[in-house]
Amino acid sequence: MAALGRTVRLRLLLRSLLVQGSWNYRTMQGAGLGFALIPALTRLYRDDPEALGEALRSHSGFFNAHPYLSTVALAALARMESERTGAEQVERFKRAIVSPLGSLGDRLVWARWRPLCALLAFLIFLLGAPWWVAVGVFLTSYNAIHIGLRIWGLRLGWREGREVGHALMGSPLRRLPDRLTIPLAVVSGAVVPLMALTLGGAVDVGPLSTIGIALALAVAGYGRPGLANRLAVLGLVVGSLAFVLLGSSLW
Amino acid sequence: MPILLCRVDDRLIHGQVVVGWGAQLGLDFIAVIDDELAQSDWEQDLYRAGLPNEVEARFPSVEEAVRLIPEWAANEARGFVLTRDILTMRRLAEQGVLSEIEVNLGGLHSAPGRQRVLPYLFLSDRDRAELERLRRAEVRVGAQDVPSARRIDLDELLEMKAS
Repeated sequence: MAALGRTVRLRLLLRSLLVQGSWNYRTMQGAGLGFALIPALTRLYRDDPEALGEALRSHSGFFNAHPYLSTVALAALARMESERTGAEQVERFKRAIVSPLGSLGDRLVWARWRPLCALLAFLIFLLGAPWWVAVGVFLTSYNAIHIGLRIWGLRLGWREGREVGHALMGSPLRRLPDRLTIPLAVVSGAVVPLMALTLGGAVDVGPLSTIGIALALAVAGYGRPGLANRLAVLGLVVGSLAFVLLGSSLW
Repeated sequence: MPILLCRVDDRLIHGQVVVGWGAQLGLDFIAVIDDELAQSDWEQDLYRAGLPNEVEARFPSVEEAVRLIPEWAANEARGFVLTRDILTMRRLAEQGVLSEIEVNLGGLHSAPGRQRVLPYLFLSDRDRAELERLRRAEVRVGAQDVPSARRIDLDELLEMKAS
């Protein structure tokens, strides 16, 4: 097996940041995948320009995955190329890997992590922190997981190659979205009444007590999904009521 | 009637199927019927990894599926049946196991020899011949990519101009 050194893998990681740079309806991330694989392919096919061209062409066909987890496919494909896996197997792999990377990334990043970080930053802002602190908190927390996922994917894909599905099935990442559901509900429940109070101006109950109540309710429901759902709804109702009452008193 | 959806889709298990149709209909298992996939553990693992924990994946061959589909249909568990092409679905239909079930054409994408009929449906002459055989096997067929889209019946579909 022709090994790919650290430098090549680092270049794959950096190029993966541009995997959507040429997104289109026909091949989606296809061109981006081909582009990101170039450092690996030029290394593996350095004595055979014709095979290099052929490999690059075949890797620029249809591909689509969650962009952050595209490194799993990228590294696994580099590994398969380094083992000279046949083209038909490679095509089947690309077709099958689209679904787990897409569903995992959508559930984890778009549906949980991004709103959680955004709401957390908003919460900090509503509690009186300067705007640049809130923005900083969002960018730092969000990208810590973003970059972490890319590095994790690159390692996993390189280690497992074609067999990466088995590792993905056992990975803690599959359970993480469920674990983030309640924290997300807690933070949403805290933001809504606080936002209502901020919009409504000063009242008898200070914003800190309101958020305390909302948080206490949400924490009380933690670990009891049914109850947590009801509390999240309650938070929304309380928040909306506060908004209506305070808003109307201003007008 | 616990086989909720019987679908031809060359992407097999993916978001549109799991979230689009699964969340709508309440789903216990997805059966992908494919002779090659039935032999390939690493591919099965990949498709399994794309499913939420509560949905089970099964990968029978066509021969096994002919025996299993009537069992599933008589069972409590709610499932989807997927094939990657019309040919596999037609083989099932000609064994008589799809008589009570509608076949959904959910996605066949651009490939050499295929012409675009709908944005999500590209058909070759071979595909059209297989659809005719499905019709002769007296199976109801409709095209619809997502639950919110309009269902297009086979007759209307075959009259549509390819582009």
